[in-house]
Amino acid sequence: MKSLFMKHQGALLLIFSLLLTAILASSSPAQQLVELPIPKLNKVVIKLQFRNGSICDPKGKEGLTYATANLITQGGTKELSYSEIQDKIYPWAAGYGALVDKEVTTFTFQVPAEVLDQFYPILKGLLLEPAFAENDFHRIMKQQQNYVDQVIRASSDEEYSKKALEDFLFRGTNYQHMVQGTSEDVKNISLDDIKMQYKNFFTRNNLTIGIAGNYSPKFLASLKADMAKLSNVTPVIPPPGKAKMPDGVNVEIIAKEGAFGSAIFTGTPLAVTRSDNDFAALMVANSYLGEHRKSYGVLYNKIRETRSMNYGDYSYIEWYQNGGGYMLPPPGVPRHSNYFSIWIRPVQIAVQLQQQYPELKNISIGHAQFALRLAVREVEKIIHDGISPEAFEATRTFLRSYIKLYVATPSDQLGYLMDSKFYGRTDYIKEMDHLLAKLTVKDVNNAVKKYWRVNNMDITIVTDTSEAEPLAKSLKENLPSPMSYSNAVKAGLPKSVLEEDELIAAYNLRVKHVTIIDSKETFK
Amino acid sequence: MKTFLLSALLVFAAATAQTQSKILPYPIYQKTLSNGLNIVTVPFDSPGLAAFFVVVRVGSRNEVEKGVTGFAHFFEHMMFRGTEKYSSEQYNNILKSVGANANANTSLDRTIYHMTGDAAKLETMFELESDRFMHLKYSEADFKTEAGAVKGEYTKNFASPYQQLYENMVNTAFTTHTYKHTTMGFFKDIVDMPNQYQYSLEFFNRYYRPEYSTVVIVGDVKPEQTNALAEKYFGNWKRGTYVSHVPVEPVQDSTRYVHLQNNSIPPSLSLNYKGPAFSDSALDIPSLDILTTILFSNISPLYKKLVLQEQKVRSLYGGATDSRDPDLISIEASLIKKDDLQYVKDEIVKAIEQVKRNGVDEKSLAETKMRLRNSFAMSIDNPSTIANALAHYIYLTGDPESLNRSYALLDKVTIDDIKSAAKKYFVPSSLTIATISADAEGGVK
Repeated sequence: MKSLFMKHQGALLLIFSLLLTAILASSSPAQQLVELPIPKLNKVVIKLQFRNGSICDPKGKEGLTYATANLITQGGTKELSYSEIQDKIYPWAAGYGALVDKEVTTFTFQVPAEVLDQFYPILKGLLLEPAFAENDFHRIMKQQQNYVDQVIRASSDEEYSKKALEDFLFRGTNYQHMVQGTSEDVKNISLDDIKMQYKNFFTRNNLTIGIAGNYSPKFLASLKADMAKLSNVTPVIPPPGKAKMPDGVNVEIIAKEGAFGSAIFTGTPLAVTRSDNDFAALMVANSYLGEHRKSYGVLYNKIRETRSMNYGDYSYIEWYQNGGGYMLPPPGVPRHSNYFSIWIRPVQIAVQLQQQYPELKNISIGHAQFALRLAVREVEKIIHDGISPEAFEATRTFLRSYIKLYVATPSDQLGYLMDSKFYGRTDYIKEMDHLLAKLTVKDVNNAVKKYWRVNNMDITIVTDTSEAEPLAKSLKENLPSPMSYSNAVKAGLPKSVLEEDELIAAYNLRVKHVTIIDSKETFK
Repeated sequence: MKTFLLSALLVFAAATAQTQSKILPYPIYQKTLSNGLNIVTVPFDSPGLAAFFVVVRVGSRNEVEKGVTGFAHFFEHMMFRGTEKYSSEQYNNILKSVGANANANTSLDRTIYHMTGDAAKLETMFELESDRFMHLKYSEADFKTEAGAVKGEYTKNFASPYQQLYENMVNTAFTTHTYKHTTMGFFKDIVDMPNQYQYSLEFFNRYYRPEYSTVVIVGDVKPEQTNALAEKYFGNWKRGTYVSHVPVEPVQDSTRYVHLQNNSIPPSLSLNYKGPAFSDSALDIPSLDILTTILFSNISPLYKKLVLQEQKVRSLYGGATDSRDPDLISIEASLIKKDDLQYVKDEIVKAIEQVKRNGVDEKSLAETKMRLRNSFAMSIDNPSTIANALAHYIYLTGDPESLNRSYALLDKVTIDDIKSAAKKYFVPSSLTIATISADAEGGVK
């Protein structure tokens, strides 16, 4: 809670819900349409979502979909260079970009309503006649190569451990690699590859058009007619990779020179998505355990608030885009392959604790193992005991209000409606609200028993090189990990916490394999 | 082609000017209670929804005593630790029942507490917030425990080399003013936080007072309703007496240098000139906003040369910081090769010198003003964004109308103003150069 820096905060629910109704229609069997007319809005938001993502990257060219989308948005058209486009849209403050995920790629354009007609030829040119210029290609590929070579390893250990978990959990499948690709494979991507990917995967046959704001029927007719001129190839989309059920509990420790703490992610395959009605039951259980960036969750309460171990601890039943940045989940990342995960933000390592507190000079590992034991033990308790009727009611009440905040802006509302179609729903937020209303505590506890587990799990820990070996040994040998508080904190803790600590320190994580990987060797 | 574009621009500009004399197209209602607390209400068409913000004009700028840097931020954490009436757990339970998106954040000049949710729960929001602002109570044990969470926050941030460089850069650029330390504070002070319980009580006593605070409510609300609730719940809040004296930064007399040796990320260059304090009446800040947008945005000749044509630079950014006291104007570039650090610095300086001599052209000036206005106009599509925008100007000047005044001021900036600002602020003696590369030294002159 209480982040230091201002972040995007989605705001509110159904701002325009009384004014308008989303119109969901299908303009042709291939071309899907989601409309959200808001005549009083001063802008228009257009989203073009292609049912193709990084799972469509050919083997050996991982990162190709990402490169293709980026070259479209950061390149020119047949008429205008990238630079000329930027000159033209500069005074309007119009903007656009692409979000590439595993299974969809979404282009979002935002423009003042007054200049929509002047802006439109640019949109049309980018999608229908992208320049794919050599010079732009070199520029964007340098950026992409740099991301996979350096940025992912060097800028946020939390994001690093999250991406590393997907690499671990989905190993051997088309879900394994980052959407940006891998160090080796990005080098193999050519301009011709991008042209082919564009022709074969960004087509009229896998497109959903979304539009929100102040636009005319005439404009929409043009947009639909023009997007029907996209390639008529029917893309061959490979089935999304499924995580193999982990054989026991397996840990990959990524040893990184100079890491200041241990950043942890755990994951286990989850059979349900937003398509399933059971998802609502799991939403309640998950929110109770670890609602994203909220102080209400059990994990947050026990790890951060009571024991002061880190900045926050949360759990997830689906992919959460840029959790370090967003307080509310953004649209545009729908997936068929889900997993249940726990995010433990960086906890202290032994070297740091030894330097900070004389009373801890003899410890051999930091707080990672204790934090992991605590988190997994809490999940096991919920699986075994369920959540109480009171906790169920409070959490359900919270969620029924809170999920409406996901669609606070016209852009997010449009995005959620488009994602709803991916899951075979019409309006996910409204439908979840209805499902939540009908839910019972028994439904929640049954769903938890059915879908959550602690015995088959992959775990990634990004930590300092000094911590890797002792932590690996302690995990492998199931050694006790008594919590190493500073004297100042320990003196004020209630007896009940210290007693619980003893149980946690001895909790058996049932770790089967532990591997240490040099940071330089990840994402190869 | 150019003529067509310009006339299209003029038509658009006229349309914009007609519909928006003030940049915020909604009235701002203000009422100051007898204890000095200002209540700001902006009704907005968001059926059933409201954003409730409390802006406290205290940040790391106020951390004037030695050994307690990072305290404004730490105190923000303590505000979630309960009151006489509600324990931390009870507070969380009530907050959860509101179903709001609630949090807080701290920066150089302010701390903001915010919640956005069901407008029907507005009274509960008032009750919860007034209770903790007036009756915060936490044990020494809770205080010591919370310090660990702050250390955890520092630990996560420190993973970024850019954050490490930034920390060193401000520590070098400032010698005396409290902008010398980041809002997180110096690490040694963070480690020592558990020992500062008494100081925390003093901190609350000084700053969590009506004269330092403003309540902002935006959304499906009416000013009569919010003002009545404010009177009911905040009316008894006692005014304080403390006045913060922040030391003045002496004039810098020569270029300063900071370097971080790191081969795990691309080489990086950051040029930091001393800039002005924020003002909604002087033309310096709007002139610098326009100038840095023209010089460093992706339509600038410099961007086109370094990023698009030569591809020596990955990204380029520049802008002045809005702060209560004179702060930095920063220009950041991420490079491909460290050997180009000096070249890129020289090119940036060359572009600035060119503006000092020749100013900027009329078209760029007109387009940039339009861009800045349009960008803001398109962003305010929900109560939270509007409340955040108001909070920004409230912490800078104490008055939400500064938002409208600042954008009106932007329209008055002339080419001469831009030339003057460039000459006044972009001088080598006020510069701090910060670099990251694999080398032991930055080597940029």
